[in-house]
Amino acid sequence: MKRVGLFLGCNIPLRRPDIEYSMRYLLKELGVEVVDLEGATCCPAFGVMPSVDLVGWCVASGWNMAIAEGKGLEVMVTGCGSCYGSLNEARYHMEKHPEIKEKVNEILGSVGMRYEGKVKVYNIYNYIYDFIGLEELKKAVRYSLNGLVCGVQVGCHNLWPSKAYPANDENTFQPKRLREICEALGGVAPWYSMMTDCCGMGALGSLARDKSWSLFKRKASKMIEEINPEVFVTGCSSCLLRFDNDQALMRKEGVIDFEVPAVHVAQLVALALGAEPEKAVGLAEVPVDKVVEKIRGGK
Amino acid sequence: MEKEVNVIKLDEEFMKEFWEELEAMGMPVKELRECIQCGRCAGTCPMALAGLEYFIKRIVHASMLGLKEIFLDDSSVWGCQSCNRCVEVCPMDIKPYELIQAIRRVCFREYAMPSNTIDGLRNYYERGHAVIVKGFEERRKKVGLPEMPPTVIGNEEMRKKFQEVMKQTALAEVAPFPLD
Repeated sequence: MKRVGLFLGCNIPLRRPDIEYSMRYLLKELGVEVVDLEGATCCPAFGVMPSVDLVGWCVASGWNMAIAEGKGLEVMVTGCGSCYGSLNEARYHMEKHPEIKEKVNEILGSVGMRYEGKVKVYNIYNYIYDFIGLEELKKAVRYSLNGLVCGVQVGCHNLWPSKAYPANDENTFQPKRLREICEALGGVAPWYSMMTDCCGMGALGSLARDKSWSLFKRKASKMIEEINPEVFVTGCSSCLLRFDNDQALMRKEGVIDFEVPAVHVAQLVALALGAEPEKAVGLAEVPVDKVVEKIRGGK
Repeated sequence: MEKEVNVIKLDEEFMKEFWEELEAMGMPVKELRECIQCGRCAGTCPMALAGLEYFIKRIVHASMLGLKEIFLDDSSVWGCQSCNRCVEVCPMDIKPYELIQAIRRVCFREYAMPSNTIDGLRNYYERGHAVIVKGFEERRKKVGLPEMPPTVIGNEEMRKKFQEVMKQTALAEVAPFPLD
C-alpha cells in the first residue's frame, strides 16, 4: 500500500481545514495510507526563517522532513504552494551544500533527530499525477464534473524554482497537469492567456494589500473574459484564500463586481470521488452550491 | 541659501561593506556582478506588475551599487512573493530571489522589517505556526476533523523540543522578542 506523510502547514489546518478533510478523503479513496506528522511545524513560511538565516531555514524545514523520515516515509504530500516551495528549496540547499546539512544535523541531533535527505516532498496534484495516474483517477470518479468549466490557477510555488522540485509540468510557463486532472474528473479546463500570472496572495498582500488585490482583479477578469469559468480551481491553498476568501471580501468592499466560486484541486477531486460537500467545501465563502449541484446532479 | 543635498558615497569601500554582508547572508556577490540588467526578471516579477517602487531588476541594480540604505528605507523587498520566476528566467543564473532573501537577512539584523514579519516569527517560535487564525477549532469541528491538528500546536512535548532546536539557530541572536 502506498504511504504518504500529510504535511499540513498553517493555512490548511488552521484556516481552511476543508482542504485538509479533502486531502485525507481523496488519498484514502485512492488507496493511499495517510500518515500524520505529529509535531510538524510551519514549513517555514518565506517571511519567517528564510528571511532570517539560511541555516536556520534548513533547520526549520529539516525538522519537518526528519519527522517524516523518522516514520520511514519516502514521500510527503502538501496542498500548500508555500510549504511545497520552502521545504523543497531547503532540501535543495542542503543537497547542494553538505556543510549546511551537517550543521542542521548537529542541531537536530541535540534532540535526537536526524535529517537524511531521503524523503521527497510532492504537492497533491503532482502526487496524483505521478503516483496514481490519470487513468486510475478516472476509474475512481463517482460524480463526474459533468462538463464544468474550470479556470485553473496553478500557483507560483508549484512551478518554480523548477530545479528544486521532484515533479513538474514539462513547460512550466504552459502548465497542463492541473488542467488534465480537472479533465480526468469530467471537467473542461481551457487555456487562457494569463494562466501563469501571480494571484498576489502572500508577502505582497501583507505589504501592499490594494496593489496585490489589483493582480487578482486583473487575472480573474481576464479569465472571465476569455473562458468564463464556472469555478476557479487552485493548486495551492494560498491561492484559494485569494480566489475565495479575498474574492468575497473584495466584492463586499466594491472592488470587483463578479462572483465565481473557487475550490482547491483537492476539494474538487474529493467531491468527484464522493466526499460530502459540507465537509469537502464547507468553509467556502463565495457560494459553491452551483458547483456542487452540477457535480452531484449528474452522474 | 545653499541647497542641501544627500550625497551617497559610491566608493569601493562603501560597496564592499554591503557586499560582505550579502555574502555572509548567502549571496555570493561575484555571481551577482554577472547581471547584465537585461530585464527578463522585471518582465515576470509580480512586484513590478503590482507597481512596487523597487522590483527585482532595480533591487539587483541597487545591490550591485552597494546601496544598502535603499533597503533599510524602502520596504519593497518584503513584498517579494518568493515566486522564483526571476530565478527561472535569468539568463545569467544570478538567482535574484536568493539576493532578496540575503537582503532581508541583512535588514533583519538592523531591525528594518515590517511588524507582521515579527508577529509571524513570534507565532512561529511560540506555537510552531507563522499563521494562526483564531477560531480554528470551530472550523475544524465543522468539517468533521479533530479540534487540534496533529501539528506542534497541540503537542507540548514536541513544541519544547522544537524551541530547543530553534534556540540553536541565528534566531537566538537576532529575534526581536525574548526566546524564553
